Amino acid sequence: MTENANTMASESQNAAPVIHVSPSPHLSNQALTTQRIMFDVVIGLVPVVLMALYVFRLYAVKQLAICVISCLLAEALFTKMRGRALSLKDGSALVTGIILALSLPGTAPWYVGLIASVVAIGIGKAIFGGVGMNLFNPAMVGRAFVMIAFASVLAAGGYQDAGSTVDAVTQATPLDSFKQTGAVTPLFALFFGLTNGSLGETSALACLLGGIYLCIRRTASWEIPAGVILSVVVLGGIANLANPDTGWTVLHHLLGGSLLFGAFFIATDPVSSPMTPKGKFIFGIGVGALIMLLRIFSGYPEGVMFAVLLMNALTPLINRWTIPRPLGAQ
Amino acid sequence: MADQPTSLERFVQGILPENPVFRQLLGLCPTLAVTNNMKSAITMTGAVLFVLFCANVITSLIRNLLKPHLRIVIFTLTIATFVTIADRFLAAYLYQMSKTLGPYIPLIIVNCIIICRCEVCASKQGVITAGADAIGQSIGFGIALSAIAAVREILGTGMFFEIRVLPAAWPDWVVMVLPPGAFLTFGLLIGLVNWYEGFRAQKAGKIEG
Amino acid sequence: MTENVKTNFFSQAWLVLLLAICFGAMLAGMQIALGPTIEANKVNETLERVPEMVFGADRARELADREQAVDVTPLTVGVDKAGKTVRYSVFEAKTDGQLAGWVTKTAGQGYADKIEMLIGFDPQVEKITGIFVLDQKETPGLGNKIVTDEWRSQFVAKSTGQSLAAVKGKAKAGNEIDAITGATISSKAVTDIINTAVVDLREPLITKAKGM
Repeated sequence: MTENANTMASESQNAAPVIHVSPSPHLSNQALTTQRIMFDVVIGLVPVVLMALYVFRLYAVKQLAICVISCLLAEALFTKMRGRALSLKDGSALVTGIILALSLPGTAPWYVGLIASVVAIGIGKAIFGGVGMNLFNPAMVGRAFVMIAFASVLAAGGYQDAGSTVDAVTQATPLDSFKQTGAVTPLFALFFGLTNGSLGETSALACLLGGIYLCIRRTASWEIPAGVILSVVVLGGIANLANPDTGWTVLHHLLGGSLLFGAFFIATDPVSSPMTPKGKFIFGIGVGALIMLLRIFSGYPEGVMFAVLLMNALTPLINRWTIPRPLGAQ
Repeated sequence: MADQPTSLERFVQGILPENPVFRQLLGLCPTLAVTNNMKSAITMTGAVLFVLFCANVITSLIRNLLKPHLRIVIFTLTIATFVTIADRFLAAYLYQMSKTLGPYIPLIIVNCIIICRCEVCASKQGVITAGADAIGQSIGFGIALSAIAAVREILGTGMFFEIRVLPAAWPDWVVMVLPPGAFLTFGLLIGLVNWYEGFRAQKAGKIEG
Repeated sequence: MTENVKTNFFSQAWLVLLLAICFGAMLAGMQIALGPTIEANKVNETLERVPEMVFGADRARELADREQAVDVTPLTVGVDKAGKTVRYSVFEAKTDGQLAGWVTKTAGQGYADKIEMLIGFDPQVEKITGIFVLDQKETPGLGNKIVTDEWRSQFVAKSTGQSLAAVKGKAKAGNEIDAITGATISSKAVTDIINTAVVDLREPLITKAKGM
């Protein structure tokens, strides 16, 4: 009821149509189905997937095929175990599969994608009660599991395959080479994505294209990526000022690693992020701050996955802090 | 005390229907901490069996002398004594194992299974029943620990009792021997046990109805 | 309730006191019976490793086969560091009355928890003759590779003149050690522990060797 009042109030004040995803009961847009959201996400992911295919060639094809197929199979299996109608058509398993594949290195062995998918769908989603009930981003749950389980093939060193015919794969990832040797990758390479890394993270351009599409369609809320980028800019700026000699500037922090991919495609998962615009912004700020904390102070070169998972855990708390107040209420 | 369970009932109940770990959710500290390989799990079970059996028997013997408000002191005193004996014994004869188990042997003192059995069974029933109860509960504890340890050791290292059971190409699931593996395995096994119990209850309900 | 407080107290607590005395006696007996074995276990764990640390695994086995005794004397060496005395337990290994080398037991912070290790030196403390990890809780599959023979063997015959450094990729310079892939922190922790021990013990041990 409070949401009704709030939505109506804001709609009468602002001419622009604003879709707030708030707790029920609310005036719902019939077109805004899970299926449509997921279809939009897939469209948004197209530039990223194309870029991954271009940079990583067969590695990307293999990883995408494994993750998508195993996610769909796992979804079918677990929905059947729970005695529910098959829900493959809503596309959520497809999206989880694509995002999972894009967050893994192409060089990872086949079983990594398979196990990550089963964990993502099974432990990340089905156990909590299926689509819309999960506490954590399923793709990140799956990735965290394999990251810890198969640390030797997924730690920074596992991304490299010196004998590969695909150029990108022969180098160290930008964040890792910076962490280990202080080498700074040129901004140009980071922006277009001609570097090594997880499949979807290399190209900042592709992530921006897809991400901006999602924000315009309002499938993803712009508050989250805005919060992430804002806090990375501020904290990255401070880190750069404190240590100006490293050559790793704020722009490197923004374009390097999986920051933009995470900000636009992972953190914006509508199920595991907060519901109110204010909450979403806080969530984004938190993700960005944790990413910088992990990048600078932890043993890992990148921190997007853990940052998103940690903030997912805080989502119910953020929701509680940011309950919208009805107009005129104290 | 006519409605107290008999020795046999006590013994059987401990194994599955009232399994200390899966049904009562007691003694979770060792359950999570020492189940990354079978050897530790079995040693821990042995230590718990010894302490629980001795504590139950002693408590049962002195049950008529117990003052209600002082009973916890006496339980703790008894348990602590036998835990210390078990700990010293391991340090003397199984030194490596005692180092691996580290603080978890002394921590049996605060293992709720034991104080629970002293309170529920041994302080009310005879020596034989108390003994049977201790053995039943320890077997239940051992089954739970072994089940978790088997999953974790096989997936995590490809070995069972440190003997390779999976091909050398098996990629070790390192996460399974780390603490998160304990929580995941434990949760999934509780789910399995609950599902089985539900299934059984449903079947029993059908026969009655 | 005419009894006085004292008898009341005893009537309440006599069982607790009786049990405490019985159990106390049991534990004392236990300690007398098992105490020496436990102490021996603790010492043996280190002592057994001393010949291997000083001579290397092959020669140590050879010596054992020929039943040539390696005399090991435990000592404590105090090192003054920033006003505080740090105590190292050092083992002096002798064969046929000749000083064969030193082994020290030391510990330092690893990635997950304390790493406890033995380091062997030659009599003049010019070279490292071997290292052994007694206790560690590093990440399975990555950091715990510090216990493997293969990795440990890199330290054999390293000079104590320069501090050791764990490097990624291939070790080139004489004082470099190959870090374990994906476990740079654990590898660095081990080299740091060794470097600290070398700096602290070099002088005292050389003096001791001369004094003999």
